[in-house]
Amino acid sequence: MFYLKVLEITSLYTILVLGVYLMTGLTGLFSLGQGGFVSIGAYTAAIAFMKFNLPFPVALIMAVVMGAVLGFLIGIPTLRLRRDYFLLITFGLGEMVRAALLYLSQLTGGALGMAGMPRMVGLPLILISIIFITFILYSLKRSRFGRNCVAVRDDEMAASMMGINVYAQKMKVFIISSAITAYGGALYAFNILFIEPNLFNWLESGRLIIITFVGGLNSIAGVIVASAIYYSFGEFFRFIDVWRDVLLGVVVILVVIFRPGGLFQGLELLPKKLIEKVKRERL
Amino acid sequence: MNFNLILQQLLNGISLGGVYALMAVGFGLIFNVLKFSNFSHGGVVTISAYFGYFMSQYVFPNFVITFILTAIFGGFLGVLIEKLIFRPIRLKGAPLTLFLVNSITAAMLVQQFFAVMWGDNYYPYPEFIKETAIHMGEFTISKIYLLMLSISAFVLLVLGYIIKKTKIGIALRAVSSDIRTPSLMGINIDFVISMAFFFAGVLGGVTGYLLGMAFTVDPFIGSMIIKGIVAAIIGGMGSLGGGVIAGLILGVAESLLIAEIGASLTPIVVYASIILLLLIRPEGISGKTYIVKA
Repeated sequence: MFYLKVLEITSLYTILVLGVYLMTGLTGLFSLGQGGFVSIGAYTAAIAFMKFNLPFPVALIMAVVMGAVLGFLIGIPTLRLRRDYFLLITFGLGEMVRAALLYLSQLTGGALGMAGMPRMVGLPLILISIIFITFILYSLKRSRFGRNCVAVRDDEMAASMMGINVYAQKMKVFIISSAITAYGGALYAFNILFIEPNLFNWLESGRLIIITFVGGLNSIAGVIVASAIYYSFGEFFRFIDVWRDVLLGVVVILVVIFRPGGLFQGLELLPKKLIEKVKRERL
Repeated sequence: MNFNLILQQLLNGISLGGVYALMAVGFGLIFNVLKFSNFSHGGVVTISAYFGYFMSQYVFPNFVITFILTAIFGGFLGVLIEKLIFRPIRLKGAPLTLFLVNSITAAMLVQQFFAVMWGDNYYPYPEFIKETAIHMGEFTISKIYLLMLSISAFVLLVLGYIIKKTKIGIALRAVSSDIRTPSLMGINIDFVISMAFFFAGVLGGVTGYLLGMAFTVDPFIGSMIIKGIVAAIIGGMGSLGGGVIAGLILGVAESLLIAEIGASLTPIVVYASIILLLLIRPEGISGKTYIVKA
């Protein structure tokens, strides 16, 4: 039971990390406001379900749409500019969302948060979501779309010379990422059953970015492993749990300095590849 | 809102804006040289605030000595951070994204470390000034705020002189405009970058001390750096003068907004107006644009 719970929470966060992976890992867009998108997703779903009595699937879809629309709106002014502007405006967005949720206390419960959602999301749904999202991301990564992303990440100017519409590419990526993140937030709301405005501050957003870098920029498998280790760590090592973030920080800096491609470099754990590797070693 | 209250808030805003300007310049110095957003500056501010607190509380209960010590401490802290986490990746020629990751990580690391070690307490600086306010007719001017303003102005003026007139300042500007060529002219780039981090660190130390004195010391004091970065953006990334002006504007705008519409709505209005500003005039007040060179 305990391990099930740990697995649930870890998986929930892994969805968020996957959302960030597409924009930060593949495309090199840093957002310190993904926490804001998590909150938007969580609150949209919760409010739609609780206050407007919409069915649960509709609430989920609304959360995803809200995330995507917000991503689009924020993307318009910022994605044309240097990455630093994007970083800062997304940070501001996170703070704005927090302030707005506190202010609109009629709808959101303010600082008291929202509770009393029925437990609509169990482990099966979360795991299916992860598999589905991983599949989408993997397909995107291997397609022309993903290669465009990597080109934009590594050198924007060269990418635009090769005929990639950098702005449009970033916009698509940001919208997809925001949608995934908001979806993760909605699942969170109906699994943890309690949400409050301060749950996802900029530190949480920063953490999502950092975990992506530990896992490896070019490896979805690496990112999933890194996030699984990080988020289950505290449950198994309670005595040093408070030092978890400090430890993570040290690890990240070491990884960035000594192994800039992340722990997994470009390795993907695909069944086919693994079987091939085993076969090769036997021969 | 009556006229006196507006004037009062204006004064407070300018003092607070002075500290924002300090942060904006500390941030801008590093941005100019290495072209990345240095979030670890917030870490310097936090550590300096604690350092200043412990110095003034337990070692020398003297304002001037501890203040200068903290400033120098901040400077060396900046150099240390550069040596530890930025130099290794710079020498490898790592892309800017990795600098950004390291700086965000460092900021997080410091904040979490202090939260674990001393997070459950607030530490007020000792009262250096006995009577904290000057009464002039209907006005009340906080002496601490007045001190903040004059110190900020002084530090910025000195820095302006260093950058404009001295040899190291000229080298700094040369490296800012092009990081490769100056080494052909016999400038030691590593040293210049260290100096940039030293100056930024001194500003961070001063900021930490002033913030700690004006409010209380807690692990999240470094998050104030975001105000500095906002000011740097409004001022135009990389323009130090623009950053100072924008810092003052931001401080005043915040104070007035808080008095007018309350503290809960203020961040919404501030960030929304910055998004609007970026739509209309992305190059900020100074109008300098940064072109990504191939």
